[in-house]
Amino acid sequence: MRKQLTEIEEIDAFLLQTLRGVPLLVFRARLAVSAELRAKVRQQQQVHQVIKYLGREEQRQQLQAIHDHLMEDASFHHSITSIFQ
Amino acid sequence: MQVQDDKQLEELYRITMPKVARMAHRMNGNLDMARDILHDAIIIYLEKQQQHTLPELHAASAYITGIARILCIRQLRQKGYDLPLESVSAHIIPENYFDPPPVRPGLLQYLQSAGKRCMELLKAFYYEEQSISDIAATFRFKSLHSASVQKYKCLEKVRDHIKQSDYAETVD
Repeated sequence: MRKQLTEIEEIDAFLLQTLRGVPLLVFRARLAVSAELRAKVRQQQQVHQVIKYLGREEQRQQLQAIHDHLMEDASFHHSITSIFQ
Repeated sequence: MQVQDDKQLEELYRITMPKVARMAHRMNGNLDMARDILHDAIIIYLEKQQQHTLPELHAASAYITGIARILCIRQLRQKGYDLPLESVSAHIIPENYFDPPPVRPGLLQYLQSAGKRCMELLKAFYYEEQSISDIAATFRFKSLHSASVQKYKCLEKVRDHIKQSDYAETVD
């Protein structure tokens, strides 16, 4: 892998807390002195947040489709709407 | 119980929705509130299932109803009702679950459309936590190594978009 991808892999291990021992200490030392590396870590953390956010959104759409499908069933529809009457 | 496929998920929905609807109704909620809370409760349940952090011997529907109860109480507390929420219960909701979108909506939309294949790959790796061999098969990679390299290339691509977006916001 090219150097840039190796660094991405290392940042990922740091974020996912699988970087341990001496490599972790070395990474922390580099973080302390490099604003550029700190920015990369922050941006990569945002990527993970985006993945989780979009994963949940997609799951929500799937659940909405199930909801709509079940509500087409008159018996299910009645059992739910009658609770709120 | 493990929810393995769409059919099981629909069955789980069918048996759990009435329970959550009755609970939401008792707490002065409406159908939309019950639906939204059920969706969040199922999402939280499925994430725990993927991370293998579900307690044993919990029937899925009962566990989801328990999560929904905590979400209902949380919502009522936000509306000013004085209801206790034990700290143990509060920990069932993942940290940052209710955080706002991590990046601006335009960038989210862009990543969903232009970066679709990368986002699908990253979701399979990180959100669904699928095994690398399953991912290699689904996305038709020639080897596990190519799947792994592509994952890091995708991380780089999305990270670059975020970087550019940060920069644009700074300039604005």
